[in-house]
Amino acid sequence: MNKPEPTALQRFAKIFRGHPMAIAGLFGITFFILVAIFAPWIAPQNPYDQMQLDILDGLLPPGSTLGTGIVSILGTDALGRDILSAVMYGLRISLFVAFVAVLVGSGIGVILGLLAAQKRGWVETVIMRAVDLKISFPGILLALMLLAMFGTGVDKVIFALIIGAWASKARLVRAVALSEMKKEYIDAARLAGLSDWRIMTRFLLPNSISPVLVVLPMSISGAIGAEATLSFLGVGVPITEPSLGLLIANGNDYLLSGKWWISIFPGLVLVLMVLCINVVADRLRDHANPYLRGKD
Amino acid sequence: MSMIDTNTLIEVQDLTIAYPMADGEVFRALKGISLEVARGQIVGVVGESGAGKSTIGKATLGLLDDNAVIETGGVRLDEARVSHFEEHMFADVRGKKVGYIYQNPMTALNPVLTIGEQIIEAITANTDKRGDAARAYAIELLEQAEVPLPEDRLDKYPHQLSGGLCQRIVFAIAVSAKPDLIIADEPTTALDVTVQKAVLDTLKRLAKRDNIAIILITHDMGVVAEMCDYVYVLRHGAMVEHGPTADLMQSPTQDYTRELMAAIPRIDRKVERFAVPGGLGNATDRQRAIDYLMGNKADRQTANGDEPLLQVRGLSKVFTTAATLVSAANSFRAVDDVNFDVYPGETLGIVGESGSGKSTVGRMILGLHTPEAGAEIVYRGRDVSSITSKKDRLEHCKSLQCIFQDPYSSLNPRMSAGENITHALKAHGTLGRKEADQLAGDLMELVGLPRASRRKMPHAFSGGERQRIGIARALSFRPDFIFCDEPTSALDVTVQAELLNLLKDLQDELGLTLLFVSHDLSVVRQMCDRVLVMKSGQVVESGPCDKVLVDPDAEYTKGLLAAMPKFEFS
Repeated sequence: MNKPEPTALQRFAKIFRGHPMAIAGLFGITFFILVAIFAPWIAPQNPYDQMQLDILDGLLPPGSTLGTGIVSILGTDALGRDILSAVMYGLRISLFVAFVAVLVGSGIGVILGLLAAQKRGWVETVIMRAVDLKISFPGILLALMLLAMFGTGVDKVIFALIIGAWASKARLVRAVALSEMKKEYIDAARLAGLSDWRIMTRFLLPNSISPVLVVLPMSISGAIGAEATLSFLGVGVPITEPSLGLLIANGNDYLLSGKWWISIFPGLVLVLMVLCINVVADRLRDHANPYLRGKD
Repeated sequence: MSMIDTNTLIEVQDLTIAYPMADGEVFRALKGISLEVARGQIVGVVGESGAGKSTIGKATLGLLDDNAVIETGGVRLDEARVSHFEEHMFADVRGKKVGYIYQNPMTALNPVLTIGEQIIEAITANTDKRGDAARAYAIELLEQAEVPLPEDRLDKYPHQLSGGLCQRIVFAIAVSAKPDLIIADEPTTALDVTVQKAVLDTLKRLAKRDNIAIILITHDMGVVAEMCDYVYVLRHGAMVEHGPTADLMQSPTQDYTRELMAAIPRIDRKVERFAVPGGLGNATDRQRAIDYLMGNKADRQTANGDEPLLQVRGLSKVFTTAATLVSAANSFRAVDDVNFDVYPGETLGIVGESGSGKSTVGRMILGLHTPEAGAEIVYRGRDVSSITSKKDRLEHCKSLQCIFQDPYSSLNPRMSAGENITHALKAHGTLGRKEADQLAGDLMELVGLPRASRRKMPHAFSGGERQRIGIARALSFRPDFIFCDEPTSALDVTVQAELLNLLKDLQDELGLTLLFVSHDLSVVRQMCDRVLVMKSGQVVESGPCDKVLVDPDAEYTKGLLAAMPKFEFS
């Protein structure tokens, strides 16, 4: 009768068992993250180091040998940068920006959502009207406005994406937390004389967070796309630290002159990565939705 | 076929139903069950949750879960082997030959369709009446089910009607095709006691008139005594015993049946303890818990027995809904000028139907609701509203605790049982980690749970066990006063008896003062010294239980008593 509780890892494995697409996505994400983390050690070239670049190596097609003797598998761009190395470093920037922005933004959103549900009254009104205001702006327009105001740079892009990420999480968490607030264990905590802060962090938060965890991967892939869009439009990360979006923009001018590899490879990586994350996110969402369980 | 009797409507023979479990084990919901129902007969199937009662009904209608396996035996309905039907063959059975009545009428009806649409849908599906004829028949059915103003009700939605009325409408739908059999799965469990009897009377009359047989699935022996000709007692999927209702209740042959009977709270006299086996925990652990709980009793013993521990004067509460674009502001007086005293060590009961304001009174005393201006709640000689300092507030909080109604929502699902019990004491710095763990174990033993289970999460416990954890949590603060908010209304009658015994034991041992709210008069009779009867926010009658629940003055109390299921104890 008494079987041991499954460990977190076993439960995680169970979600993905029998879903080959989701497993492939999980491997894809792991691969991209590892590449991003270890880029400085495994990239053939440091694309940020001007000394390693040679303008004479510019615009070479995939498979060419550079002046330094490196074989450029994916070709080079106009500055003589190895595309493979640039993509690895670009992945680093893209993932860093997306993860930080979504985690910080969601954290803020979750806290505001919990506050709204717990305090009600004017606190809730202020928070939820701010959410309505934020959501009434098209996301990319808001980000463009902010970047136009504060200027470009990695930190500014992260800031703009945080502003884009918090509102939907606040709304989501508030809805769940409102129904949790009606449950008797919250009354019990109040009778125990616990502070509002402790009730929020130890009682409300752990019981309201699951839906946010489920949409988190989807948010991250959205943020990767948003950052790429901003960089492509030239208001994102600076040219010295190119992200995937900026690499695509760089190659854009050469696309019509037959130098396709500069844009296509970063684009392909971007699409693959977002796809992997979305497949995994889909699986998590289906698993969390009991109505779909067993029917997929 | 042992008995070829033309009168036999349904025959369950040696039925075993198994569910393969995730860990490779097999769970048998029914183990070789045989039962028989004659035409027009009302048969009770009694047992606790998990006894497999509902599985019998589901097997008859082909509503078993996909992974259920019929290992042996089967169900015959009118000589057709329904337990082995293909899905499409049930079209002629469901609704037409067998009607089904669910436990909760509010969820059994579709909230977005009117009553009329739902009845007429059933009529057109199962009879050849159409259009005006169907509508006329629907009104006739509602009249028979004793729904007042049937024509008006057809245009109403389920949420506009009370639970009792909704259940009558479900009855009307169930009998619309004049079925041979109705399976009623706990038809009155979700209803107030006061309407329960009338609703059951209606069901019985409908069945007798059309010679419809009923399989009544219930955990309540009182309901069986009122309704059934014949009873089957089930436990853990196996048949305990069966027999004609009167014989079985007068002279049960099995211990389990006797326990079921002994667990029913009786209204006619107060018993010391229910005669159900109660497991006591480890003696040393219990003693340590009691020593801890009594630890500060000496320095709190200021109030003597003659002075009330709690005085409530002019307590009122008005709930207001703010005006919206489509509706004006609305206010509802939930509690209206309630006054009472509670003396140390006694149990004061509050009874009333749902919506009478009884829980709201308790919540105001606990400070979970703010009373209207002018109310005075004096606890241990001090007006509660004058307690302002943080330290005093905390002491006050600890002294007044609550045992909640719904064991499934009263524990934090993300904390282990032990953490649920002692989290607050650790947070306040009263106890260190080790002491808290020790206390959690001791308290678990005190409420009859093994101390090792303190590491398990709430979902691993049954409803009764969770309620015990809730009691341990309330006790951990060393309270003087505990508000019990219908603590057993979500539980089976045997589990209820065990818990009520536990509460009485704890009260004797710790000298607790209880305010016990319940809609069940016989539970109040067993638990309380004095009682307040509430109706629509007002106290209609108060006094000692021996007087109020035996020879009441108020018409309302008399009505409540008359509505209790009558039940002759041997």
